[in-house]
Amino acid sequence: MLDVKIKRKLREFSLDVSFSVDQEILSIMGPSGSGKTMTLQCLAGLIRPDEGYIALNGKVLFDSKSKLNLSAQSRKIGFVFQNYSLFPHLTVNENIAYGISHLPRTEVSQKVARLLDSMNIGRLGKRYPRQLSSGQQQRVALARALATDPELLLLDEPFSALDAIVKERLELDLIALQHSFKGNVLFVTHELVQGYKLGSRMAIYDAGKIVQIDNKNTVITSPANRTAARLVGFKNLYEGFINEINPVFIRVKINDLEQSLKVTFRDSGKLTFNQKVTVGIRPENIRLVDHPGENTFLCIVDTIVEEISITCYRLHIVTDSSIRHFIECVLLKSGAPLLAVSQAIYAYLPPEHPVIIND
Amino acid sequence: MTDTYLSPLWISLRTVIVATAITFFIGVAVARWMSRYSGKLKSVIDGIFILPLVLPPTVVGYGLLLLFGKHGPLGKLLLLIGTTVVFSWPATVIAAVVVAFPLMYMTSRGAFEQVESTIEDAARTLGASEWRIFWSVTMPLAWPGVAAGTVLAFARALGEFGATLMLAGNIQGKTATIPIAIYFDIQAGDTSHALVLVAIVLAISFASLFALAYWKSRTSLSKSRISHREEVDQDA
Repeated sequence: MLDVKIKRKLREFSLDVSFSVDQEILSIMGPSGSGKTMTLQCLAGLIRPDEGYIALNGKVLFDSKSKLNLSAQSRKIGFVFQNYSLFPHLTVNENIAYGISHLPRTEVSQKVARLLDSMNIGRLGKRYPRQLSSGQQQRVALARALATDPELLLLDEPFSALDAIVKERLELDLIALQHSFKGNVLFVTHELVQGYKLGSRMAIYDAGKIVQIDNKNTVITSPANRTAARLVGFKNLYEGFINEINPVFIRVKINDLEQSLKVTFRDSGKLTFNQKVTVGIRPENIRLVDHPGENTFLCIVDTIVEEISITCYRLHIVTDSSIRHFIECVLLKSGAPLLAVSQAIYAYLPPEHPVIIND
Repeated sequence: MTDTYLSPLWISLRTVIVATAITFFIGVAVARWMSRYSGKLKSVIDGIFILPLVLPPTVVGYGLLLLFGKHGPLGKLLLLIGTTVVFSWPATVIAAVVVAFPLMYMTSRGAFEQVESTIEDAARTLGASEWRIFWSVTMPLAWPGVAAGTVLAFARALGEFGATLMLAGNIQGKTATIPIAIYFDIQAGDTSHALVLVAIVLAISFASLFALAYWKSRTSLSKSRISHREEVDQDA
């Protein structure tokens, strides 16, 4: 169990976060420079918070009130750095053994061998880091951090420098590791897919604050604000105000559009008539149809991006206003693109999909 | 060949070895501290440490005389315990340390700054004490630069003339180091003795540079012994 409540002043903003983690992987997501890495550094004891409190499994690591600040050395926290930070002058074996050199020699070599084996790098013990691929280096970094049996493992964008195939294999290994490693894991990433895959809960950072921390499915389906919404894949965000509330649905008048948008009523207790809100909808939830109707907007195809299994369309809504409203949508591919650039098409936003964000 | 014939060599060797050792430890300690210091006075402190390199040695020597002379602050302190360093052998060491220090300091500071701080952070999270981190991580990674600084400091200490003459004088068999002996030999017209000393200095200087180059090529060889073909044969 990890309990954190820390503040630290920075030049542009101040880091001010509090959260708990209980035997799980928490994915920390947010724009770069939002304080994710600094949070990890504060937890590891590499940076001193200005004030606050950190406790791990009942042991207080930092408490500004009682002026307690355990050194990084005595915190038993494993840290995997973005650039691996292996000791370049030591072999893989020596790197992994570095944190457990106080143990008897046979125990050290057994443990190193076991870790090498579990990381599938058994043959590389005598190599130097520069003789390894980046994926192998990251495995060594992970093994080195696990060697000390940390109570908390901090992973700072560990896969950001890896190519897609290596990344996927390492992700699978990390998911497998989750079962053998019983401690807490904080996983900083800027990739939504990765954060969702690896974490059980997600925390969304923005400018030094946690805007949302919740079960990952909750974060994905009901983001707390625009930043969170954008980060978890709501590419279509429209500002407007509520012009109808009834027990079954809500209508939102989107700025510059004549037609208002119908949204199925969910947990909308705090919403009031005329309130300014943002409506968000994922590209994959938009349907393209050939006739006008409710929640349907006449659009012109702007851009088409073909991917391997999907096609992404960017449309703009036909309005009298000079401000363009774009709709991004994604269709599963079945042969050639269905549409052509400049073609007119109707975009249907099914009322059960949009989320209403009031921030 | 009498004892006095080669006495400048023995004096110089003693002076240079002691001075290099002192410069090494002070230089490494100060360089390490400055490589992580980021206060307002950084450039001022840096300037003070490098100053002896750009000042004329006679100015450094005069400064040392003021400091260690009878009326100087350090001179008075030494007089309290009944001693003085001016015109004695320790003065040759002091002069050599002061002029050699900037080279040791600048080169090792550069080397320490090259060591990524996250590598040291990694060692910290693995539980290593600051002392162990310094000797097992920082120093090995900075070693090529520190070694180069040591060789430069050694060479500079060996060649020191102006400040030594000011502070230690030219006392045969006591403070007359090789460079000073050469100067006074030439003045006295004893060119053959001067030539012998010149040859010795050349030999020592070359030997130290070759030793550094040899050592560097050996360590870089051992690091790249495994052929490139073998290096990345299997991806993660």
